[in-house]
Amino acid sequence: MAGGGGFEAPEAFNKRQKKYQKGKKLGVRIDMTPMVDVIMLLLTFFMLTTTLATPQVMQINLPKGEEQDKVKVDASNVLYVRVSDKGNIYFSHGKADGTEMPPENINLTNLRKELEARHAANPNLLMLLKFDRGMNYNLMVDILDEINRAKIDKRYTFMKMEDTDKEIVRLAGG
Amino acid sequence: MGKSRSTKKPGINIDMTPLVDVIMLLLTFFMLTATFKAAESEIVEVTLPKSVNTDSTKLPDQDIMTFTLTPAGDVWVDVDNYEVRNEVFGDQFGIGLYHPDSTSKSEFELTGKVGDKALNRSVVLLNKEEFEKIINDLRLALKNMSDNKRDYRIVIKGDQETNYGVVEDLMASLKATSNTRFALVTDLKSD
Repeated sequence: MAGGGGFEAPEAFNKRQKKYQKGKKLGVRIDMTPMVDVIMLLLTFFMLTTTLATPQVMQINLPKGEEQDKVKVDASNVLYVRVSDKGNIYFSHGKADGTEMPPENINLTNLRKELEARHAANPNLLMLLKFDRGMNYNLMVDILDEINRAKIDKRYTFMKMEDTDKEIVRLAGG
Repeated sequence: MGKSRSTKKPGINIDMTPLVDVIMLLLTFFMLTATFKAAESEIVEVTLPKSVNTDSTKLPDQDIMTFTLTPAGDVWVDVDNYEVRNEVFGDQFGIGLYHPDSTSKSEFELTGKVGDKALNRSVVLLNKEEFEKIINDLRLALKNMSDNKRDYRIVIKGDQETNYGVVEDLMASLKATSNTRFALVTDLKSD
């Protein structure tokens, strides 16, 4: 309350007291330093906690309906994306007669460019994703992320990796 | 002249009021935007995979059904409403555990721990049929409780090291219970 004095001073103070009193302004003067300290601490706390909690989600829509009601697609529009348990990605295009082209090994860093190029060549491209069960979940998210980022129609579906697919991947180098 | 002089103290006196104003504004902003995750949902900890955000979808605040996949291949199913948990798991801190690989045992059954942490919640062990029933029961319980106004959003929190096989089995179960819309939780990656 040292800074708050002054207004109740009696008139009859001696000269010396009055002179000392002059140095002070009328009204209350609050030292803000402790408040600033506390607020700064709070600010730092909230800044750090907010930036840490930023989870986001990647929306996935599976096709509805039973496995039996198959949708007919033109075999030449199909792009098989097979991923081996070692994490190697293989692309192979379907041919109109139901067979498919030999698999090509695609690097994850080129995946988006490759997809955009293939989509430009065939806008009706449908990706069939066949992931090996031993593959890492991290890679699945990476691949879906690249598909989402590519400027193409997101037409893809998950399919079970059959033994024939595993054989194709194995022959292509595993 | 002498009077005004005497009000000045020796040394520099900085007026902190504008500084305090700005800091107060920032503080208010961060306090309002800060979102804290419920501590209980963090019991099973996973390292989320990272992705680049393309559609700015954020995790919903409430009514989420979380499937947490651990590197050991276990699926933990949990919801954020304790009344629903009480009804379905029989305990307000109940949590479901499903191990898709029937040839082995879950990490929790073997060690009683998740990762290296003990779990202080009542665990309900589920097989495939029970797991799919629980998914339906959880949604039904919330719907009944809210006169069909609320429904669960399904999110999958997978650890980076989880095998895809676990995800495949979980997706098959979700599809079998006609939950074809779900979301994978990721951390933001700056490209």
